[in-house]
Amino acid sequence: MQALKIQNVEKSFGAIKVLKGINIEIEPGQFLILVGPSGCGKSTLLNMIAGLETVSKGDIVIGDRTVTHLDPKDRDIAMVFQSYALYPNMTVSQNISFGLDIAKMPKPEQKVVVDRVAKMLQIEPLLNRKPKALSGGQRQRVAMGRALARDPSIYLFDEPLSNLDAKLRVEMRSEIKELHQREKTTIVYVTHDQIEAMTLADVIAVMKDGEVQQFGTPQEIYDNPENQFIAGFMGSPSMNFVPCELSKSDDGYELLMESAGKVTRLLVNQDIPGLAQYVGRSVVLGVRPEQITQVSEDKPDSMVMPCAVEIVEPTGPDTMVTIRLNGVKTVCRVHPTAICSPGEPMFLQFDVTKAVFFDPETELRIR
Amino acid sequence: MSLNRILIYGVLTLAAMFYLLPLLVMVITSLKDLEEIRNGTMLTLPQSLNFTAWDKAWSTACTGVSCEGLKGYFWNSVLIVVPAVLVSTILGALNGYVLTKWRFRGSNLFFGLLLIGTMIPFQVILLPMARTLGFLGIAGTTWGLILVHIIYGLAFTTLFFRNYYISVPSELVNAARIDGAGFWMIFYRIILPISTPILVVSIIWQFTQIWNDFLFGVVYSSGDYQPITVALNNLVNTSTGVKEYNVDMAAAIIAALPTLFVYIVAGKYFVRGLTAGAVKG
Repeated sequence: MQALKIQNVEKSFGAIKVLKGINIEIEPGQFLILVGPSGCGKSTLLNMIAGLETVSKGDIVIGDRTVTHLDPKDRDIAMVFQSYALYPNMTVSQNISFGLDIAKMPKPEQKVVVDRVAKMLQIEPLLNRKPKALSGGQRQRVAMGRALARDPSIYLFDEPLSNLDAKLRVEMRSEIKELHQREKTTIVYVTHDQIEAMTLADVIAVMKDGEVQQFGTPQEIYDNPENQFIAGFMGSPSMNFVPCELSKSDDGYELLMESAGKVTRLLVNQDIPGLAQYVGRSVVLGVRPEQITQVSEDKPDSMVMPCAVEIVEPTGPDTMVTIRLNGVKTVCRVHPTAICSPGEPMFLQFDVTKAVFFDPETELRIR
Repeated sequence: MSLNRILIYGVLTLAAMFYLLPLLVMVITSLKDLEEIRNGTMLTLPQSLNFTAWDKAWSTACTGVSCEGLKGYFWNSVLIVVPAVLVSTILGALNGYVLTKWRFRGSNLFFGLLLIGTMIPFQVILLPMARTLGFLGIAGTTWGLILVHIIYGLAFTTLFFRNYYISVPSELVNAARIDGAGFWMIFYRIILPISTPILVVSIIWQFTQIWNDFLFGVVYSSGDYQPITVALNNLVNTSTGVKEYNVDMAAAIIAALPTLFVYIVAGKYFVRGLTAGAVKG
């Protein structure tokens, strides 16, 4: 049995379709992340799962119940909001037990639940405070506590970390992950932050313009993006897209690469049948920064070529080097010790085994 | 102190005097007897604190035929004001809650139309309202007057609450819905407890409006059911014998005291509530 099934779900506001037939299924205990740029419909979809927005077409099934037209309270869900939405007039403990109180759970039992949740989230000293007197991270915990107290079959998170500062965000991120691993909860989580998506998810649905562009594990999506949008959206710094000429060679295909006034032939040592029809035409090479590095001996399959360095950005463990390749700015991840100054040519090593190719017109992956 | 400060305080003092002078004249006149009033000027202080005029205004002055002072009418006003203020405030809060958190098709149009209600002058609705009250069979009663004030006040109270609730995040309502609370439960347990500032604004506003109202009072009530403003008018205009300025003044102050009291007690909430939401945080 699936924990959540979203079947051909559509949403229209008047004539405008904001969701165009969404199909997603997840298993119990899975962590699903809906990720995409703002306006892609991910929050609308989450609100529809919660029952806060009506479904125009299609069905939503939680467990073995179709909940498409049920009230939020009858769906067995809990939700954590971006602004936390703590009730300002109630203490932390009242906030956590509000749902239980409405469900007419006896007070002593409520207290047991509140204590358990407070202990789990380490917010015991805060139980008698009002939300006003809490820091951002503490409010975040209380909001999660309120969800945990309800013990629902699905947890919904709507960009829960985006109001926190950078350091706290990373801390809370790993706490959410830890909580998920410990409690084996089923979670649907909306974010626009692809790093959150990569780090937290079991499965990711990348959305754009009201459609799911790709559905898969983080690694699948990172390594095998379906199109140029997904490839560019996932990963930071994002994938480089270099337009280049494709030609046939004895061993396979070759790409014409120009940098620092020199043209190099880059051998494509992958078996991609789709490339055959692009011979003599232009393709878009998708190559991630970590696939262009300083020259080293331990990668025999890689090509080496001289490149014109334009910008050097040290990050600590790696240094990001921007070069110009076929007229396009291209970011490479280089070890700090191997670095040269801007304006100088530098030999870089291309690992093309994991490179991907896109059609310049349709932006679809060439397979 | 710089010249600027002196100027500012000078202007403020002048303005304060300008507004306080009439009150001062009223208070000192009400404490004099008629002899003193005739012999002195308006600003001559009374020789002793003499509350006879106040006593008379409260319990024996003539308002038309009857000579029982203002006290009966004072309680009439209280009986009109309290239910009218409470009901119009509660309904306004509900309206504001629905218009911001439970929007329906055409709710913006509805709000727009309601706003027109704030611009309709009293005089325009006199006749239609009289017909309506007659049709409902409550013409000339306290209930009729209460109803008129509730209806007329709704546009204002709705405007207050709607503008206050628009800055209350909708996620609060959504969170409560997921927690299982319904329409009334959310209103009662989440929305109302955070509405104190705007409740105070609405109550002060409605109290002042209804307590000070003369036109509706004179048109829609009669005899023993009249509010204090109408009685005050009758008291001042009753022309038998000597004009008792001290009684008139005392009566006017009695009629104004409750609004004054409300402002002194809740004035700071009034300003706070009016500016709430204007600046976030």
